[in-house]
Amino acid sequence: MSQTGASLSLANVSKFYGRVRALDGLTFDVKPGQFFALFGPSSVGKTTTLRTIAGLVRPDAGTVTIAGRDVTDAPIAGRGVSMVFQSFALYPHLTVYDNFAYPLREAKVASAEIDRRVKETAETLKLTHRLERKPSTLSGGEQQRVALGRSLIRRPSILLLDEPLTNLDAKLRNDMRAELKRLHRQFGLTVIFATPDELEALSMGEEIAVMRDGAVVQRGTPDELYEAPANLYVATKIGSPHMNLIDATERGDAKSFDTPFGIVGAGARAMANAKGKRILGIRPNDIRLARTGDTALAATVHLIEPLGDVTIVSVEANGQTLRMVLPEQQAIGMKMGDAAPIVIDPAKIHVFEAGTGEAIR
Amino acid sequence: MTSVTTTGAKSPPRILQPRLDNWPAAFILAIIISILAIALLPPKASFWVSLAACALAAASAVYNAWGRYKGGLLVAPAIALLFVMNIFPLLWSLGLSFFSYRANRMKPPAFIGLDNYEKILTDPTVWDRLQTTAIMAILTVAVQMVVGFLLALLFSKQFPLRRYLLILVLTPMMLSYVAIGAFFRYYYEPTFGLLSQFVRMFTGEPFILLATTQGAMAGIVFADAWMWSPFVMLLVLAGLVSVPKYLYEAAAIDRLSGWRQFWNITFPYIRGLLMLALLFRTIEAFKLFDVVFLLTEGGPGTSTETIAIYVYRQAIQFNKTSDSTAISYILLFTVIVLTNLYLYLANRRAREA
Repeated sequence: MSQTGASLSLANVSKFYGRVRALDGLTFDVKPGQFFALFGPSSVGKTTTLRTIAGLVRPDAGTVTIAGRDVTDAPIAGRGVSMVFQSFALYPHLTVYDNFAYPLREAKVASAEIDRRVKETAETLKLTHRLERKPSTLSGGEQQRVALGRSLIRRPSILLLDEPLTNLDAKLRNDMRAELKRLHRQFGLTVIFATPDELEALSMGEEIAVMRDGAVVQRGTPDELYEAPANLYVATKIGSPHMNLIDATERGDAKSFDTPFGIVGAGARAMANAKGKRILGIRPNDIRLARTGDTALAATVHLIEPLGDVTIVSVEANGQTLRMVLPEQQAIGMKMGDAAPIVIDPAKIHVFEAGTGEAIR
Repeated sequence: MTSVTTTGAKSPPRILQPRLDNWPAAFILAIIISILAIALLPPKASFWVSLAACALAAASAVYNAWGRYKGGLLVAPAIALLFVMNIFPLLWSLGLSFFSYRANRMKPPAFIGLDNYEKILTDPTVWDRLQTTAIMAILTVAVQMVVGFLLALLFSKQFPLRRYLLILVLTPMMLSYVAIGAFFRYYYEPTFGLLSQFVRMFTGEPFILLATTQGAMAGIVFADAWMWSPFVMLLVLAGLVSVPKYLYEAAAIDRLSGWRQFWNITFPYIRGLLMLALLFRTIEAFKLFDVVFLLTEGGPGTSTETIAIYVYRQAIQFNKTSDSTAISYILLFTVIVLTNLYLYLANRRAREA
């Protein structure tokens, strides 16, 4: 089975459901063979986006281009797109074999060829011993694989996955993550998947589009999103434990801010002659305990959460808290209320406009 | 219902132990007493003796339930009413079917065993009426199923005024039989009925639909189907709306044709309900009486006389009371056998599927 992925691009796609704006000038493009994640909390338009690409939804404005061809108003057939639904949408009254075979029968493929491809697909997905079963008798993971198989068997050039792992239990999710990546490598097709789970998006997506209110807020590789979030929305959605946000004011000296923890240096991102309100974003990994000789920020221990190899310690000053990740040994003996002077790596501080939430670079 | 209270500590009675809470024994006793009384005593005395025996059995059951099955006692009035109005007449008529009895004679019933049944099963008139009933049932059920099914397909789509049209379409089902009978009498009326007027525009002759056997049959089937197609529609519609929408979307992505979508996605969801509709309508059609009686009274001649009308004539017009109970029981038996056969087949198919 050799398939090749197609490129896809959406330009200014909008969709209204009554007065609700589901998609609002959505624009992004996906390279052939890319594993692309649409990430965002529920009801930001991820599913509508996938359905628009599949052709189940006609956009009210904008264009959808697949492999260089404008398919905005084209019928579903001929787009070369297939989709795995969140609910799997297996045909409940057909066996696994027939679930696989029907898309092919419809395409008037010879029955010997159908049989060969069904067996082959079942082999790939380790479903050979389940071919005569009804979907309702299968486990969640098996149903998921049947849904995948049914989508792959027609050899689409673009595969859409709508929250593929949401309906699976935790252990199965890890297995399926690896499985999906393996299948992607094996078939080389373009995969676009929607997920509300940042771990899924980061671990699987080669590139991620972070969505909000029917539009892409930021798009980039997992590293880009983590290292340089474009605004507070992305900053707080990506990264675990979440980024610390503290109120700050420009000191106007082009190198530091006033914060509840004292004066924090932030290198080039602080402005000269400005007095604006800012929000500083600091990843818990970029804070460490002060050693002798450091210019430290004063803080007291507020909460200790041991997680085994690391301990998350919250420190507090003037009513604001910062969470930091410490190696387990450093947290031993720490008590609530202890003084814990800290040091923040100035190069790793993210600075955001307090009003708009946009990043200042 | 299974609450155990202080009286529940009593050990349950042995099978024939003479105790007031031994209700199975009381029931057996009541049946024996009743049979003996009917066989030996004059009718008036036997009636009261049987009644007393039944009352004793009921009292025993209540005594047994008192304090033990309070919930059960709460439904007892309903059960008692059902017994008096329904089960007792049913059993009484079953008994009567083994006797020679006419309601308009003062003679007491005389036991004749299976003579009534023998007479009926060898009577060509009965077989003729059964045949008429079968033809009518098959025709009307077939029309109802097809029309109801198509209506359901129509109403499963969204279109303007759908809700109001749906109410209109469902109305016939809610009308009384007499109203339907009156409607269609006027429709089929030769001098001023709509149908006759319509045909006269082409032929110039008044059209008497109910004058011919086929015409009368068609008229009845049409009226009955008009009334009950909405019932089939309602059941099928319930099945159609229960099909998850995403299956159709998946089918669209898999490019399944409309025909395949119907057979593999839609039909499995409505198959059970179609069977149910078929079962209900067949049983009802077997008992077809009202519409036929109001439209043709079995005519012309006896060509549309269903078995139900035949029973009615035998029982009410000719006062052959015990004969007609025997036919009724044969009819009941037939319907029960057909129903069970049908359910058996339906279940077996469901298991295979």
